[in-house]
Amino acid sequence: MNNNVVNTGVNGLDRVLYGGIPRGNTVIVEGFPGTGKTLLGMQFLYQGAVQHDEPGIYITFEEFPDQIYKDMKAFGWDIRKLEEENKLRVITLSPEVLMDQMMKPDGLFEHLIHEIGCKRIVVDSISLFQYSYASIEEQRKVIYSFRNTLRKYQLTSILLKEMTSVEEENVSFINYLVDGVITLTLKPYSKNYRKRTLEVTKMRGSRIQEGEHLYRITDEGIYLIPALSMVEDEVITAPVDTVPTAIPAMDRILGGGIHDGATFTIDTNSKSNYRYIVTAIKSGRIKAGQKLLIFLSSLTTISELESNFKKYDLDLAQIVKEGNITFVEHYRRNVPKEYKDAIINVSDLDNEQYRRVMNEQIFSMIEQGVANGEKWFVYYDLNTIASQRGSEFVKLYFGVEVAKISSLGVSTLVFTNFKELGEETSGFVERSSNGVIRTWVDGNYQFLQITKTPNGTISEPLLVEKIDEKPFIRLV
Amino acid sequence: MNGPQAMLPLQLECTLYFENNPYAYETVDGLSVRLGRKAEDLEKILEHLVSLNIVEVIGKGATAIYHYNQPELVHGVEV
Ligand SMILES: Nc1ncnc2c1ncn2[C@@H]1O[C@H](COP(=O)(O)OP(=O)(O)O)[C@@H](O)[C@H]1O
Ligand SMILES: [Mg+2]
Repeated sequence: MNNNVVNTGVNGLDRVLYGGIPRGNTVIVEGFPGTGKTLLGMQFLYQGAVQHDEPGIYITFEEFPDQIYKDMKAFGWDIRKLEEENKLRVITLSPEVLMDQMMKPDGLFEHLIHEIGCKRIVVDSISLFQYSYASIEEQRKVIYSFRNTLRKYQLTSILLKEMTSVEEENVSFINYLVDGVITLTLKPYSKNYRKRTLEVTKMRGSRIQEGEHLYRITDEGIYLIPALSMVEDEVITAPVDTVPTAIPAMDRILGGGIHDGATFTIDTNSKSNYRYIVTAIKSGRIKAGQKLLIFLSSLTTISELESNFKKYDLDLAQIVKEGNITFVEHYRRNVPKEYKDAIINVSDLDNEQYRRVMNEQIFSMIEQGVANGEKWFVYYDLNTIASQRGSEFVKLYFGVEVAKISSLGVSTLVFTNFKELGEETSGFVERSSNGVIRTWVDGNYQFLQITKTPNGTISEPLLVEKIDEKPFIRLV
Repeated sequence: MNGPQAMLPLQLECTLYFENNPYAYETVDGLSVRLGRKAEDLEKILEHLVSLNIVEVIGKGATAIYHYNQPELVHGVEV
């Protein structure tokens, strides 16, 4: 369990927040009357007390606590019992009394917090402050000092806010002040159905799944189903033609792996260690029974590939012997004889001749294979193509080549260095790709970020940690 | 009309309110709004409830806060 986040009591919401609310955050939950704010607030406290042993206080300015005790029975929640166990309090007082007592050292607020070891607070609702304090300045000051007090006691807090149809000018200030904002809405959907949605528009210290997520009010309280772009859902519903990359964290972001037919580009710089990332992806394809076309580069020799594959329990020579890998070689180099038949050497060819070989020999071989039910994967070393064939060649033919490969249902991993490729060509390559993986070194750390995916999810920059066992890197 | 007898229903109302909402912390004015009763009537009753140990008071004057005095039983359980 991650102790730095606080579960909200709504599983789907925790997933939207990648675990929960960062501990100590003050979060606004806003919505029109009837959207479920009170319910969400109580669920947060009830589940906190019951499942996580975190006592909480519900402060209500308007509702009678006994009404809340009664309402929550509908969800099977015995609030009075938790009060007797000192795990929960439903407190009612006026905003002025609360503020007055908060400011006092040894005041009622501090006393109540300490009495039960309070960790969570819900205030229903801060909209009442606006009736208690006449001027906007005063309201702001009060809410500001209120937030500071909640922070001082390290309370993870949910402040409920009633929305009204008139937009108040105070809104943006309060939302700016707090650490998070969650908006609940109730929209007409069809004649006799209204759609309840939840959106997290701000959460300091946490990633969020953006967009509107649907929720229902069930016998067990609020039940939220994260929208389909959710990474976890994609894994569950990953189509059969998606092949894992052997790096679990990457597969989660990619929705299971790389689809057949997709073109992914990996952008690296010379300092970054891309060897494992690339080998992990290739090994995933081999293990899925696919055939590979690999462009050799000036840096990757057969023997280096051999040792990389070995790390992933793959015997390159054996795979080649079975006819499952074909290499395109742009250099004149000595190669072990057991690999000779698998290598198509294009070092002597000019661009015209090279294009012909690509079309007549290589693409037609893949086409033939696919027609016979084979699955293929292409590792396209764009650095080599750019240096050996020129950037004009890349601009003219790269798009055509990947489109051709893709149309056969074959996926491609394009290996490149955007910086060396130049802005214009990189932009073009990026647009031609379904996915972009970037890895770079900054200071003493290597980072990896997935900046484009077919399903629209992207990742924040992840740290690349070197580990001793397969897949040898961990994304954090 | 202002005799103790006349006040009994209001006293009962107050007692029930604090009993049913044991974590209500009310000033006289706050309770007046909450129950829809006159503050000056409530003031006397609250004083009386304090003397009966049903209600506890924090502070003095207009900002004094009244709340339910949990019966010994509950405290006994805690020990
Ligand atoms: N047992 C229940 N089953 C389904 N819906 C319920 C149940 N109890 C309450 N609701 C719905 O929950 C909503 C009340 O939510 P509430 O938390 O009071 O809203 P808010 O505090 O935002 O005004 C109402 O729209 C009501 O229809
Ligand atoms: Mg409410």
